[in-house]
Amino acid sequence: MRYAFLDEEAKKEIRRSILKAIAIPGYIVSFASRELPVARGWGTGGLQVTLAIINEEDNLKVIDQGCDGSVNAVNIRNFISSVTKVNTTTSTTDATIIQTRHRIPEIHLEENQTLVFQVPMPDILETVEPNISKAKLLHANADYSKLWVLLYEDTSQFGDSRISNRYPVMVNNRYAMDPSPIPKYDTPKLNNCKALQIFGAGREKKIYAIPPYTNVVPLKFEDREFKVESFENKVCSRCGSTHSFLDEVYDDNGDIHYYCNDTDFCDTNLKSKENK
Amino acid sequence: MAYYAIKGGEEAIKNSLHFYDEVTSSANDIEDKNLIEGLTFSIDKVISEGSLYSKKLAAKAIKRSAGDLLNASFFLRAHRSSCQRIGIAKEIDVNDMRLSRRISSAFKDIEGGQLLGPSNDYEIKLLLDLKNKDVDIEEYSNEDNVIKSALTPLRNDNLIKVLPKEDETWDITRNYPNAPYPRSAVLQVMSRGESGSLLCIGYTTMRGYGDIHPTIGDLRIGELDIKFTHPFTKNEVKIGSVEVTSVECVGTFNQDENGDTKLTTGFGFCFGKNETKAISMSMIDLSLYNSHYSVGGEHIVAADFDMIMHHLDGIESFGMTNHFKLPHYVTFQTDYQIFKSAQKYVEENENGEGK
Repeated sequence: MRYAFLDEEAKKEIRRSILKAIAIPGYIVSFASRELPVARGWGTGGLQVTLAIINEEDNLKVIDQGCDGSVNAVNIRNFISSVTKVNTTTSTTDATIIQTRHRIPEIHLEENQTLVFQVPMPDILETVEPNISKAKLLHANADYSKLWVLLYEDTSQFGDSRISNRYPVMVNNRYAMDPSPIPKYDTPKLNNCKALQIFGAGREKKIYAIPPYTNVVPLKFEDREFKVESFENKVCSRCGSTHSFLDEVYDDNGDIHYYCNDTDFCDTNLKSKENK
Repeated sequence: MAYYAIKGGEEAIKNSLHFYDEVTSSANDIEDKNLIEGLTFSIDKVISEGSLYSKKLAAKAIKRSAGDLLNASFFLRAHRSSCQRIGIAKEIDVNDMRLSRRISSAFKDIEGGQLLGPSNDYEIKLLLDLKNKDVDIEEYSNEDNVIKSALTPLRNDNLIKVLPKEDETWDITRNYPNAPYPRSAVLQVMSRGESGSLLCIGYTTMRGYGDIHPTIGDLRIGELDIKFTHPFTKNEVKIGSVEVTSVECVGTFNQDENGDTKLTTGFGFCFGKNETKAISMSMIDLSLYNSHYSVGGEHIVAADFDMIMHHLDGIESFGMTNHFKLPHYVTFQTDYQIFKSAQKYVEENENGEGK
């Protein structure tokens, strides 16, 4: 098998698209998007980005819904390591490339790290303008009025936007961007992040990026604060964390327990407590 | 402890795969030859949608996916991504096909005649073993039937609308276009699109979402030589042949940009024997590029380029549909919180109004 599975032309094309994406923060770049041995919609965009940028010195971490051990994460990690022989890790701090589905790690990222998102819908305008040609024109004119109208209608009916995940963000004061289906909780982490963030959508054949230290703000009316999921008064039953995104888990008796969604964060937290 | 239940884990995958192999192991007993020759239409569907012409790999893929043909095409597509391209073959012309089947329903009499070839179109579909008894059967001819398209005379008389030729053929596997999409890219998307999707969208044009009742001008199945310029000798060499289906259908007429009255045609082309797919493709091609020739409305599904470019691919749509099987608890957790606060907001507001 060829190093990193993809043929050299494909890797070259993806790298060029990534460079263009970094140069224009939040702008959607088209690429050919090859088929992979993993189904479309299961992370083929993130995979292509990872396969195109990875080398022998990298330390790879793959998470899905906050967890290194979930089936999709395991599958993707096994596939990448089988075609590259890179070291893999579950530790956020040790990783140089983190491929993620729908979460940004709780532990802050650093300059030498790249966060690769798997993206199902790359264009935030898709909800309000399914016609791609028209949406492209709206982006070109920075015309996001349809998104504002949606936000206004929701706010007047329900007090806030009904969008819970993949909340629209403005990148570098220019492009409205889909941040992949991360919870609102993770949205502020996109802003001024030290790590490079690359977004890959395989089925939709698009790549976009947020370079390090870029201004990213959620789309919001001036007189409304941006509210994220609240886990007030709730504590992780495992590590005792009070400031992380929690999963609600029902046990066999029907009782609700809360656990950190980010399993590496939970493990690290637990370990540092035991050491004290 | 419930916490561990949310981790899928490597063990679970291994067990599941092992179970799958055990349940479908009989597929391995089928000889490739039986699949390739006996279940030839399955093979042809897979090479067409997998867009990789290898009947042998298709047979392997069908066995690996236990007869799930879309899944089998997916194996071929994935394999294709690891193949380095060595060059681009010469343009082919469907008029050069060595035909095994060729029909035209537009004309009573055509040059070269109708060639039914192997077909069960006229078979009564009963699950009974009724053998054709005592029938005198014509010997199959061994001659190379190379016959020009039945529409050639109309074309020579300048009666058919000609679409402008592109300077360079697009290649959707190396470069995916943005709208407006070049026709070569649109045809490629259709050629490797899912047969059922093409049939569905093609069918809409005959049921009110369009007014197309095309006539099959020329439907042909046969072999085409693939020629290639040798990188060292620069000579043209034949590197193999492929079996393909090609359809030209004829639609309605209208005045073109120059005011000349012209007939419209649509083109369908794919690997293997896939008549329904090629016919559907030709109808959609006709509908896309001639929607203003339509007597009825122009704004129909089969005349919408985005609809065609992004919804025909079976491997993409089935992958996306199946991704719903992956865990979504983060998404749901956050949906649920938004729902609860919206519910609270609405209740409070209603109470407020009541007072």
